[in-house]
Amino acid sequence: MALNAASKNANGRQVAVIVSRQAPTTAIDRNLLRSVFLKKVFLDSANHVYVPVNLPPDSRLRHDFTVAVIHLDEPQLQGYWNRQYFQGVSPPFVLGSQAAVVDFVAKTPAAVGYVRPCYANAKVKVVLVVTVIGKLAESAPEQCPPHGRH
Amino acid sequence: MSKLARGPWRRIILLGFVLAWSGPLLADASGSMSPAQPYHLGQGLYFPQQALRVGGYADLQFHGLDDQRNALVIEDLSLFLSKDMGARWKMFGEVELGDAVTATRRQLTTRYANVDLERFYAEYRVSNGITLRVGKFLTPVGQWNLIHADPLVWSVSRPLTTTAAFARHSTGAMLYGTVNLQNHDLDYWLFADDSQAIGFARSHDLAYGAYGASSPLRNDFAHALGGQFLYHMIDDRLSVGASAVRYALRDPRQQYRLIGIDFAWTGRRVEFSGEALQRKADNPALPDEVGGFLQAVVPLPRSLYLVGRYERYRSSIQPGAVYIRNIGLNYRPVRGLFLKLERLDGSRNEALDPSGWFFSVGAIF
Repeated sequence: MALNAASKNANGRQVAVIVSRQAPTTAIDRNLLRSVFLKKVFLDSANHVYVPVNLPPDSRLRHDFTVAVIHLDEPQLQGYWNRQYFQGVSPPFVLGSQAAVVDFVAKTPAAVGYVRPCYANAKVKVVLVVTVIGKLAESAPEQCPPHGRH
Repeated sequence: MSKLARGPWRRIILLGFVLAWSGPLLADASGSMSPAQPYHLGQGLYFPQQALRVGGYADLQFHGLDDQRNALVIEDLSLFLSKDMGARWKMFGEVELGDAVTATRRQLTTRYANVDLERFYAEYRVSNGITLRVGKFLTPVGQWNLIHADPLVWSVSRPLTTTAAFARHSTGAMLYGTVNLQNHDLDYWLFADDSQAIGFARSHDLAYGAYGASSPLRNDFAHALGGQFLYHMIDDRLSVGASAVRYALRDPRQQYRLIGIDFAWTGRRVEFSGEALQRKADNPALPDEVGGFLQAVVPLPRSLYLVGRYERYRSSIQPGAVYIRNIGLNYRPVRGLFLKLERLDGSRNEALDPSGWFFSVGAIF
């Protein structure tokens, strides 16, 4: 998916799903993305273990992503991960900021992350853009990087 | 399997596990790196260099049965170890110290304490939809048995339907996974148990494990073959499952056939779940076990939940059906921490699941 197209609505409520430039993935559908973030699907087409990365629980962007892709509210998701933890499966790693997500994804061939489209840079590929319709979370809105794209 | 085969089988399996746990048996072929993660209650402690996660849960329970002495029990102290080895291999182990300390007005004792190797297995991811598991694992019959830990279930007490008719643990091999059917997930588990030959760690599996129950009957598989399917719909808000197992117990040494169904539905203001099963013995002289329960959970303000359950169970060891009603509160102030208060009543339930008040507090760590 073209980065320009993804960036058109940078101030809107869009979520760009990113992978490393080295990753074989060129596009990902929402069902697969949901399965990757719920750790129901483990391996990508190159047999690497997917490494989904989340933002902190109080992030508005994470709320948008959860609503639009995972389709579970926070208590349900917490219940799901409690049950998975009992089976030895842990939730996705959490990184502290969108810049950290971009850096990590760029260096990790099987990583999958999500950021606002204005954060995606040349080191990563945008493989899906999700438009979020629904109630806003109450946390502070994320700002785009000060000098355009990260 | 002959008796001679028992020793070598056990030794081979145990040696494999020891080798796998003790070092980097398989190099990390995933090409992935894992970021360091701060510790959070309910998620375990992760060591990224070793791809090792250490966690567990603990709970303290109060049992106030109507006609018996009250007791305070450190019911479970459970430790998990989970280690990824490359892209496809994984090891998992759980050791549980049960009934570690029991306190009544007259005594403080550890004589009921028992140590169980609850689960111990290796997994190989054959593909995204197929994982092979070998070792000791929870028997996939119904949804409760697979997540039976006190912090994960809504009530202190456990329905008879989830314990009385089958062994809670199996030792053998399992294929499981999730496949996508028309944008809905179908989870499946297919397993073969040969506990008689390779059962290297028997569990403390009383058929009627409720506090104060008078039946010492155990449920241990000799052999079993079965599986379960669980179909998810409406973004996982509804799941419907079915189980079937053909098995022989160690004692009484009988062949049985079990079928079960289960469901869970989560709405905005209420959650319903239920399981039902029927067990038939090959010997027609033995009575069936038939039962089921329906549970409702209503969220209240401030992380509080109202829990109600009704169960009917006809056991093969006493005439007439048992009826059990539970009503309770569950408080989950933060992730990983819970408190539960519950009242259990019933009819003809004195021997299998006695009436009383129950309280538990615990944490997943």
